[in-house]
Amino acid sequence: MHSLLADLELSWYPTLTELGWFAPELALVGTIVVILVAPLILGRSALRSARIAFVGALVTLLLACNLVGQVSTGGLSGLAPEAAAGMLILDKLTILVKVIIMLFLAGVTALWVLGSSAKEEFGEEFFVLMLGSALGMSLMTSTLNLLMIAVAIEAASLPSYSIVAFDKRNRKSAEAALKYVVFGGISAAIMLYGISLIYGMYHTLNVVAIGEGLARDLAAGTNTVLIGMSLFCVLGGIMFKIAAVPFHFWCPDVFEGAKIEVTTWLSVASKAAALVLLLRLVDAFGNGALAAGESILTYNGLAWGIGILAVISCTWGNFAAYRQNNVKRLLAFSSIAHAGYMMMLGAVFTLPGSSTSGKPMAALLLYLIMYAIMNLGAFTVAAIVSWQTKSEDVSAFSGLGRRAPWLAVPMVCCLASLVGLPPFGGFIAKYWLLLALGSKSAETTLGTLYWFLIIMAVVNTLISLFFYFRIIRAMFLSDDQQPEFRPPFFGTAMANLCAVLLVLFGVVMLNGPKDLAYRYASDLYMPARYLTKQVDSSDAALVATEPTPEVGVATAGGAR
Amino acid sequence: MLTIGLMHYLILSAAIFCCGVFVMMTKRNAIGILIGVELVLNSVNINFIAFDRYSLVPGFDGQITALFVIVLAAAEAAVAVAICMNLYKNINTIDVDRGDALHG
Repeated sequence: MHSLLADLELSWYPTLTELGWFAPELALVGTIVVILVAPLILGRSALRSARIAFVGALVTLLLACNLVGQVSTGGLSGLAPEAAAGMLILDKLTILVKVIIMLFLAGVTALWVLGSSAKEEFGEEFFVLMLGSALGMSLMTSTLNLLMIAVAIEAASLPSYSIVAFDKRNRKSAEAALKYVVFGGISAAIMLYGISLIYGMYHTLNVVAIGEGLARDLAAGTNTVLIGMSLFCVLGGIMFKIAAVPFHFWCPDVFEGAKIEVTTWLSVASKAAALVLLLRLVDAFGNGALAAGESILTYNGLAWGIGILAVISCTWGNFAAYRQNNVKRLLAFSSIAHAGYMMMLGAVFTLPGSSTSGKPMAALLLYLIMYAIMNLGAFTVAAIVSWQTKSEDVSAFSGLGRRAPWLAVPMVCCLASLVGLPPFGGFIAKYWLLLALGSKSAETTLGTLYWFLIIMAVVNTLISLFFYFRIIRAMFLSDDQQPEFRPPFFGTAMANLCAVLLVLFGVVMLNGPKDLAYRYASDLYMPARYLTKQVDSSDAALVATEPTPEVGVATAGGAR
Repeated sequence: MLTIGLMHYLILSAAIFCCGVFVMMTKRNAIGILIGVELVLNSVNINFIAFDRYSLVPGFDGQITALFVIVLAAAEAAVAVAICMNLYKNINTIDVDRGDALHG
């Protein structure tokens, strides 16, 4: 087999080791196949496909964890014909985000079993689409190639459009899906146009090499308008997935129209993947400036742009949330605001080296984890309430403190955490975010921007206090004597688990292992500059030259 | 005798891009908007292939990307048309302005 392929002069094909690096994605694909084939043999059963999806998510998670050993420091750039920079990157950051996404997928699957498994007849199709979008998202977190970025975003988007429209007889769901697909199609097309312009300027799709070229051009002042336009197009496509202002128009409508499980899924997973992608991209640009020997402030404009969009997202999300009566819409605007907080870190990542200095990376990951937990908890309670009362309004929560205290208490924890109050996890997440912004504020001329971001984050936290408390007020202070209801046991358990985790994180991380976390976060990321190392194609040693022996980066090209 | 060069292709692609954006902004019919998206994607393909053909650096990245873009466009059209049909079944129109059950 080996020699046959060699005779065909195939320049590259994956070895088993390299396929092993791809194992989590392969496991997801395998799960999809199993879900599709199982009904042919065993007959259709929505519940069974949910179980298969749950197990598949956990297997993917384990396979991802299994790879941690292979990427001791830095990471691998693999699965590519060129040795220099692969289509896919494997580093601890990718693995960690995959773990977060898979855990969240398992949680959403459990939520679906609670709510829809009894009446849903197309469970197989639902989970095929769900896992398909998870596959796209996990690819989004692990690439620095513009073609792969476009493909991964589409791979995450197309199934998402379909699962939003899944409730076929529901008019709202049909409209939401139309809005989603129209906005998504437009932003994807414009992003591709931006990519084509960038390709024309630098004749490469590798973001690191592009970053160098951009830095040179920006420093020399050539092509500035063209660069600004094409970067806006590309980043716009990514911010569409994050749902940052001004690319957020789809978000509230889609969140309201979709089933609540789908809303939960979209609110965290697609944002997390797109944020990691954005930060990788921005970091690669910063490192490109370093590699090109230009000033690290070449990307000042980019940092300001991202910072200001982040602030607008926060403020707009928080103010618009006031007018909402529908809980899903309210949480949609809340998710826009939280995306804004996390995007503030994008302004930090434009400084080269900030991705490996620990603080910003630790802040981002802690925020993502906390956000996933508190959103899962809040949406679980909202889902149970809406299933029991057949209403998604804030008023449906009235008297919940009396009617179902075991739901009301975790909801308070999750909402307080979304605001960012101690002693919950959300407080620690925001605190670390501010620390990360503050840590860079003294270093460069970007200090003004970072102080501005810090102030706006604090002000926005205050603004957000009130609309989250509307739900809490409805639960405890207003009671229209509606009948009690008995919430399902597993749903209550899930909501309470989220609340307990939030408290645990909030208490433990407050004074606890901050330095440890920073140290751990500092080698999560494969610095983009390693990706540009040219590896001689005849060189089978496959290890890029590094000053320290333990910092080795294997590239796939040599591993034939 | 006029020789066709990179600039001609770029102007063609920019013109198609502008047409596409214009269609996307003015059409109310969802299918019309999708046609605008397809126009933009075609301008992307022209760009990629022209850049590859006239580049001094050898490489096929652009042509391969164009193939991927064609596939992405087809996949997206399939999903989008299915969603339009679903909407038509529900409210008997695919006019995006008439979708007003969600106020956003």
